[in-house]
Amino acid sequence: MDFDQARYHGWEDRRLQSPWMACLAIVRVALMQVFRNKAYWVVLALGSLRFLAFWSIIWAVTQLPLPEETNNVFLKEFGFTAGNDADQNNGYMRFMEGQQIIVMILLAFSGSLLVGSDFRLRALPFYLARRIDRRHYIVGKLLAVSSIIMLLTVVPALLLFVEYGMFTASTQYWIDNWQIPLAVLAFGLVLCLVNSILLVTLSAYLQRIVPITITWATIFLLLGSLSGYLRRATEDERWRLMDPWWDMRIVGRMIFGSFRTEVEGELAVWATLLLVGVCSVALVALVHRVRAVDIVE
Amino acid sequence: MQIVDIHHVSRSFGSVKALRDVNLSLRAGTIGLVGNNGAGKSTLLKVLLGLLEPDSGEGTILGCDIRRASRELRGRVGYMPEAAALIPMLKGVEYVSFGGDLYGMPHREAKRRAHEVLNYVGLGELRYRRLDEYSTGNIQRLKLAAALVHDPQLLLLDEPTNGLDPAGRMGMLELLEDLIAETGKSIILCTHLLGDVERLCKQVVVLDRGTVVRAGTMDELRAHISGRWAIGWSGDERAYRAALSAVGVTFTEPDETGQNGVMVAVPEGFTTRQFFEIARSCGVVLTELKADEENLERLFFRVTAQEVPVTA
Repeated sequence: MDFDQARYHGWEDRRLQSPWMACLAIVRVALMQVFRNKAYWVVLALGSLRFLAFWSIIWAVTQLPLPEETNNVFLKEFGFTAGNDADQNNGYMRFMEGQQIIVMILLAFSGSLLVGSDFRLRALPFYLARRIDRRHYIVGKLLAVSSIIMLLTVVPALLLFVEYGMFTASTQYWIDNWQIPLAVLAFGLVLCLVNSILLVTLSAYLQRIVPITITWATIFLLLGSLSGYLRRATEDERWRLMDPWWDMRIVGRMIFGSFRTEVEGELAVWATLLLVGVCSVALVALVHRVRAVDIVE
Repeated sequence: MQIVDIHHVSRSFGSVKALRDVNLSLRAGTIGLVGNNGAGKSTLLKVLLGLLEPDSGEGTILGCDIRRASRELRGRVGYMPEAAALIPMLKGVEYVSFGGDLYGMPHREAKRRAHEVLNYVGLGELRYRRLDEYSTGNIQRLKLAAALVHDPQLLLLDEPTNGLDPAGRMGMLELLEDLIAETGKSIILCTHLLGDVERLCKQVVVLDRGTVVRAGTMDELRAHISGRWAIGWSGDERAYRAALSAVGVTFTEPDETGQNGVMVAVPEGFTTRQFFEIARSCGVVLTELKADEENLERLFFRVTAQEVPVTA
């Protein structure tokens, strides 16, 4: 049967999926947008350097015939331990902490592309005029940002865990340290939730790349510096809570059970509450923003 | 078949009343929604789309309750926004299939349909180009394709010819005419270009300051607004004029119709048959009888109580 392309054809198969499936489409398109931009590949390549370094270290200490003591020194020198060591270091935790810098840079540039452009180019009706509502849009965008974060933190950390287990030539490492992948996932969840909510909200309001980057840097660098200054000036450790980066790290250490000082343990609950509070406020502001643009066009 | 049936719908934004007690009952077909900037067209469109819940009032669109079934409604309606509404870094076919994904179509189906509708709107060869390479005319066609991807029953088109050059506008109007003729889809066309409405629409809704000032078919509106006829006759002019005046027909002076006719305004309830009956009783023969050919532009300015702009 001939199919005349110039004519209009109806859609016979009218099965529709749940609107929540649209969230996955939003994630897919967001990743497509990010990976089509060459500048992002440069940042991603930088982000993979630490992973490659840790990968090589694990290979070296498990495959090269080095004495045990040399191995430990070697690992410690590069900041990687296969579990919690005597100084309460955890290699996976340290890897994810280290990745945060590159994550922050990537997110600062992604906010405008993934979220800001929807508001700037008035594309919000493109989403909301379809079978999804604000919830699906917001969840889709949060998942999109989270997937970028996971790509740089959780996924490589889990790969390192798998690699370490594989090179030890037995399943004992995986069995003994079964909590590590769970902790990686939990810490990843914290990073994803906090960063995605803050970034999507910020991008929805500021829209353009320059203001987003400046504000993002203010939140994560200026607040950190200010907190350090105030802490030194007043000798009060509680000022550390002002630094969102530190708050996330402390929550991570709580998850991995690797507090370095007593103060960290004492402030961990406050850091958690603070992050929950800030994210809640940001989420309310985001819902309000998505609603407002929909009406005032 | 009624596609829109809303009663006493009002919507305010703060102190601004965007819609005031709107009552609309529209049959399937092509409907023009016209009004000045700030008349409430976009707000009404959003209420019709289920995006905005009215402050008061109720009604149904395609049988779906405007308050409760907004998602189901949006699955049956295709919306083409006025703004560019583009998503950076995407290609044409990805943009349209993404629209299908958001409607809830399975991804493979959405992609297949995207190719089909892009071919239909004439963008088959441009479908793998990035959106930033599209011209204004092609963006309008692309947005139409994205609105058509799930084969909706009703299309809401917000300024589809906005920003187009004459050739682009003509192309878009021809495409819409073809769509109407081929599929019989209902279309609500929201525009300030009255010529577009006159060309495409059978029904018109005129909005002014949030109120529906006129709604009906083009013919109904013309008759209702003007009630004006051009008539010509041969025979006893004085007797015929007197007989018409006696039943409330007023003569527009000076004679606007030309040589042998006059323009008259008839009272409410006056039928065309009466022209013939009175002519017969006066012994005259009607040689001309036609409704005043008022165009939509004149009609619009009349019902919104504005001065008709003077043209050179």
